[in-house]
Order: sequence, then structure tokens, then C-alpha cells
Amino acid sequence: MVSAATIRMQVESALARKIPSALTPQAKMVRPVAATGIKALDDVLRGGLPIGAVSELVGPECSGRTSLALSFLAQVTQAGKVCAWIDVSNTFDPLSAAAIGVDLARLLWVRCGVQAGRVEPTSRHFSLPEKYLAPPSIKKGLHGGGFGPHPRTEANGLSTAVSGLLHPQAFAPRCAEPQRSIRPKQQTVEPVRYATERTVPVARSSKPWTRMEQALRSADLLLQGGGFSAIVLDMGSLAPEFASRVPLATWHRYRLASERTQSSILLLTQHPCAKSSAELLLRLYPAAPLADETTVFTGIQPHAEVARQRFTQNESNVVSIRKPPQRVNTASWQSRMTWAGRR
Amino acid sequence: MTQTTEVYACLYAKEFPAQALLRLRPDLHPKPCVVLEGKAPTQHVCSLNTKARLLGMERGMTRVEVDTFPEPVALLRSPQSEAATKAVLLECAGAFSPRVEDRSEANAFLCGIDIAGTKNLFGPPEMLARNLLQRVRVLGISASVTVSTNLHAAVSLAKGLSRKTPLHVIATGREAATLSVLPLSVLDLTEKQVETFGLWGIHTLGMLAALPEKELVARMGQESRRLRQLSQGELPHLFQPVEPTFTLEERAELDSPVEILESLLFGLGVMLEQLILRAKARILSLASVTVTLTLDGGGTHTRTVRPALPTTDKQLWIKLLHLDLEAHPPSAAIVGVMLHAEPGSTTKMQLGLFSPQLPEASRLDVTLARIRAVVGEDCVGRAVLQDTHAAEAFRVEPFTVPTGESVVPTSPHSRASMRQLRPLETASVTLQHARPTYFYFREKRYNVEHAYGPWVVSGDWWNPTLWGAEQWDLVARAQDGAMLCCCMMRDVLQNRWQMAALYD
Repeated sequence: MVSAATIRMQVESALARKIPSALTPQAKMVRPVAATGIKALDDVLRGGLPIGAVSELVGPECSGRTSLALSFLAQVTQAGKVCAWIDVSNTFDPLSAAAIGVDLARLLWVRCGVQAGRVEPTSRHFSLPEKYLAPPSIKKGLHGGGFGPHPRTEANGLSTAVSGLLHPQAFAPRCAEPQRSIRPKQQTVEPVRYATERTVPVARSSKPWTRMEQALRSADLLLQGGGFSAIVLDMGSLAPEFASRVPLATWHRYRLASERTQSSILLLTQHPCAKSSAELLLRLYPAAPLADETTVFTGIQPHAEVARQRFTQNESNVVSIRKPPQRVNTASWQSRMTWAGRR
Repeated sequence: MTQTTEVYACLYAKEFPAQALLRLRPDLHPKPCVVLEGKAPTQHVCSLNTKARLLGMERGMTRVEVDTFPEPVALLRSPQSEAATKAVLLECAGAFSPRVEDRSEANAFLCGIDIAGTKNLFGPPEMLARNLLQRVRVLGISASVTVSTNLHAAVSLAKGLSRKTPLHVIATGREAATLSVLPLSVLDLTEKQVETFGLWGIHTLGMLAALPEKELVARMGQESRRLRQLSQGELPHLFQPVEPTFTLEERAELDSPVEILESLLFGLGVMLEQLILRAKARILSLASVTVTLTLDGGGTHTRTVRPALPTTDKQLWIKLLHLDLEAHPPSAAIVGVMLHAEPGSTTKMQLGLFSPQLPEASRLDVTLARIRAVVGEDCVGRAVLQDTHAAEAFRVEPFTVPTGESVVPTSPHSRASMRQLRPLETASVTLQHARPTYFYFREKRYNVEHAYGPWVVSGDWWNPTLWGAEQWDLVARAQDGAMLCCCMMRDVLQNRWQMAALYD
């Protein structure tokens, strides 16, 4: 009696040259992922961005990297986890993060390169001269409003006041009317003074490399401390030459640390810099602006392509002669502004 | 009706001025130390440690006499540190009974503790005395404890105990027998009384107690009756309790001004250890610590450190204080340190099996302090939105790990976000029919494809603040095909165009 296992062994060994381990189901490795909250992209990424790995979102300015990262953080903070945003160029906007749904109480924001002389919001103080604010002196008289003790004197000087009010040049004089010669009175207008102490001279943020170094050290410290489920290193406004000057060993270190602490590291860059340390390389192309409305800017339509994804598993272990069906690796979605309303 | 019996414990610390000063200075313990009292030329020794006594130094010696010994450490008497140590000891005694009486003398600490009825709580008096002694020893003070049903008997015995037996419990009814071997010096006699008793050949309390009462009173007055009762251990006592206050405070003066922060940390560690011990004795932990450094030249430098959770981890406190003082160094050399701590409840954190992984609070504090040292004080934290239409409508608050569920709703649709440029970048814009047609930004020319706006923003009408500006949302394309969706602001007051944000 030949057992089923023996038959299977025989079939497999006969087919070994063509189809290795034909009848043995492939061992599945479950790699945890976290959803980005953008359905089109989650489908392409088979669930979302990897947990415990470095993902890189590469694209030029206005390609939708930031909104994608914020959307991912919104999902993470919703689950009660804590995230960090290391802001190399100090460009993070808390208002739009809150609009996307990021719980700001669970987001640690590290701003790099902000120098001691803080940039004050440019606001000016305007105040009326004192004479307009002082209440007029109380008029004497029986009726309170007039200028004399008797009602008949109330209208005294009214005509002069009215003609003074109506600018004489604006009205052509009626022919028979006696003209008062008006001497143009020199009016002194006090210049409106703006308080200047609020507007501190803008301190330029420090050199890109200094900011980069601060960001890398902060990221190191955060990874050492552990407990952050997602750490975004935002180098999106940094020219590619600075990001690519970071030694590859740094990214490798981050990869190991993220594996250990099971936190997702997101790099927002203009040019891929982490190379093989990144498990996922997502390339975003310049987004097309939406033109739904003629009066307001409504949003952008980002377009992403999975440029590289490590550890993708084949559907089957049969090496086909034909080219196997390829997965879709591009996604496009609409990011609308908060004020744009639903279409 | 049950008759309550009085039981008193007496805590006695000899050479208190020296002990109070050396408590926070473990480095001086192996050296002969004396404490000097009085004005500069006529200083004399008021207290000394065992090492100094063994070398032959004595109380009452002058400075010159002290200097004849090899390597003496002369310290100045500090009433503040004595008061602080006394408060610590009283508070420690207060942990065993709410009724504590302070009977301190000039050069010794002495307190009576009413321990009647504490048997169920702290065990028999021997055990209580042993525990009390252990607690006091941990505080850095060597003391002796005696227990008796008569407080005066306990006090007299405590003064007469040798250093080798720091603990003695007088059994009920054995007071007179126990006290009989003690010398008369434990009784605070006047010189005249000492002389008279010397002439009579009375040297111990036992001899005094054996004298007939009437004849003694006839010769030495009513005062002698009290002395006789004292020596028999029968003098009644009216207990006057004090209420020990609980303030976590330690202070130390440095011998010489210290410039380097690291050398201060050792002393801070010892002081923190004491504070933590005292807080722990009350099942509390430290919520915040305020360091007040007295500087050379009279100024003070105060810093407060408050971690997210109250903690009793000494290393963590030292690390936090170090990072804080490094970030805010004092302007001059340090001559004195005072630590004041606020007690907080010990943290009880309920960890769940399925709760998300969060940063550990104490480690996060250190991490944040380190990051603060890297990027700057106000640049780490969480953003809190403010209710205004002004630009930069947020403030940054210190980050703490929130508990509970997140209540912010996520938007069901994908939203675009902005990248704020801080500071605003200048752009030169060319207008046609009062609308932008092309502009130069970062040395690149962009042709405007769509211009939305202007949206006028002004100040709050209820405030004198004014920020007159026009906002334009521009969709522009460079000649090389690069797309730019940006928000440009025109400063109306100065007619200046600036790039405020990029839609990304």
C-alpha cells in the first residue's frame, strides 16, 4: 500500500526540474501592514504601508506626499497610537493635519532649524488717535443737545456745518448764491503708526545640513525611546543633494530600529535616498489640479506608482513560460480641499 | 473600662549640628569633622563626629587648637540645615504616631513619641523601636531609641545609653532599676546641685533615688523632689504634641563655588535620594522638583522639572535635572543648592493586553529633553489649534502621552494638505488686469494657469490687531513642466507678494 505522501514525493521529484515543489503549498509569510486610508492606494499596496519597516514617498513639490502621509497618520492616531512628525524644513501645517483627521494630541511635532529669534506672525497693531476715543465734553443747556438755553438757537450754525460737510468743490455753486470764500484749511493728519515691536526681523532658518542633522538625531532618539507607531521624516522641501548626502548606514540603522520597535518610518523626499533599506518605494508624480469650480481651488489628483516593494510573494511557485499577469502598480485618487465640498 | 497604659518612645540624636551637616555629605564621613560656632576670631567647636573625638578633639576647642590636628575638616554651624534635619526626623517619627513632642536641646535632637495603642499596627515596642531606628539610619542620622511607660525615664535612659546599644526597652515597673546605674549628668543639674551631690558622694541615679524624700526636700528645696522622681522614673509628664509638617525640602551649602555642573550632580543625587526616601515612606512619589541654586554674588537660579508622571526613579530625576540645567545653565558659580519637591500620587498604570503600544512615560521624558537640547526649547511638542483666522493659528504645548480613545473623526474623503513656508518666501509677480499671470519663485518662472482669489483676510474687528492681506490660490506651471499649486499672500499694506504655502 503506497501512502499518499509517498505518491506526492514521487510526483514532486519527477517534476522537480520543471516545477519545484509542485504539490507543496508555498509557505506564507504574513507581513503586517497599516492602511493609508486611501482605498485606491491600499488596494495597490495590498493593505497599506508596511509596519516595522522604512517606506519612502518620493515626489516633487505638490505631488500629494504630505497629504498621503497625513492620511496614514490619521489612521494610526485613530487606533489610539502615537506618532511623530520630524519636520526638517518646518513646513508642517497643523490646521490641514487636523482637517485630514490626525489627532494632534497624539502627534509629536519636532521642528528643526527654528532659530532662537522666532518668526512672529506678521500682524500689526492699529489704534485710533486718542482724540477719537475720548468722549466729547457734555454740552450745557436745558435740552442737552443744543448750544443755547433756548430751542430756537439749536439750529445755529447748522448751515455752515452742512456746507462744511459737503465738500465745496464737489458741488457747483448756484449762480445767485453768495459764495463764502473758503480758505483751504491745512489739515494735519497724524500718520498711522504701526507698533513695530511685534514684527521681529525674520530669522532665516539655519542651513539645510544643520537641520538635517538635527532631524536625524531626533529620529535616532525617538527610535531608541520606542513606542511611536509611526515616525515621519519630512524632507520634502529639501533639495535632493542634501537628502542623498546622508550615509546609507543611517537608513540601515533606522530599518533595524523600526523592525525592533515595530514602528513605520515614512521618508518624504524629492529623490529616493534610502535605497535598499526602504521596504517600499512609492513614487508620486506631479499631481493634476482639479478644476471642478471656477472660483475656488478644489484640490489635486495625485498619481502614485509602486516603484519597488521588497518581499512581494508570487501567487504560485510555478515558473511559467509565459509572462505571468502583472499586478497594477499605479494608483490615482483625488485629494480635495476642506472647503471644496463633495462632488 | 479598660485602663490605657502610657507607652513612650524617645528618639535621641547626639552631636546634632555635626550630624545635620554631614547627613548630605557622605564624602566627609571618613574624615574628622568639627562644627564651629560663634564669630570669626572667637570660634569654638560645638559639635564633632566620632573620628574627630577619637583623634582627641573636644567640644569647646578654639579654631587654633583644632588646626593643630592633622587634616581637620572645620564646618560652620548651619541653623537652616539643622532645622531641615529636625523637620525630617520629626516627620519620620510622625510616621509611627500622630503624637510627637519635640524636646530638642542645644546640641542634641530629642523627641518623645506617644506609641500607646500602636501594637496592632507596628508590633510590640521592640519591633517599633527597631523599625524607627532603621528609618532614621536610612535618613543618614545615627540615633538611639528607648521605650518606657514614663517619658522622663525614656529620655534619661536615651541620654545615658552607650553608642553600642542604641535600643533599649524598659519593662513596666523596672524603671528605677534600669535608671539606677546611670550617672547624674543625664539630669541637667545646676552647678550648685552638682557640687552638693558631689560632696554627698551621690554619683548615680540609683543613689539619688535611695535618698529619703523629706530630708532631701528639707535640704535642697522642692526642685530636689522632682530630681528624685526623675531618678526613680516616676515623674509625671504632660505631653505637648507638635504637628510635624510634611515639606519635601533639602538644602546644602557648598564649601567652595562650583562652576562645573557635573560635580554638582553627585550632591544632587544624595539629596534626591533623601527626598525620594521620605516620599516613599508615605507611599508618594515626586511630581516636580524645583532646584534653587544660590549663585556666587547673591543671585539665585531656579529651575523646575516636572515629568509627565510622578516618579521615584532617582536616575531619571538626575538625568532630567542634568538636561534641564545644561539647557539653562546658571550665570555664575554655584555656592548653595536647595531642592524642593512636590509630592504626587504614585502612578498606577493599567496595562491592557490589547492596548496599543505607547511610549513609556519616563523614557519619553528623557527622550523629549534630549531632543529639546538638539532642536531648541519650543520646537518639540504637540500642536494645539487656536480659534482665530490669523496665520499660524496654533501653539505648541509639551507632549504627553494621552490616555483614552481618540475622539477626532477622520474625514471619509481624501483631503489635500498644505505645506506652510516659514518664513514666507518672496516671489515677484506680474499682474495683468489685476490678476497674476506669471511669477518667479525660487529662481524659476511659472506661468499661472488658474488664479483663484483674491480672498481678503483682515484682522479681528474686535481687536486692534490688523493683518490686511489678500490670499491667492494659484495653479502654475514652469517651462520644464513642473506643476505648482500654491497659496500666495499679497500684503495689502506694503503691496508685497509672498509665497505662503504649497498644496501637497
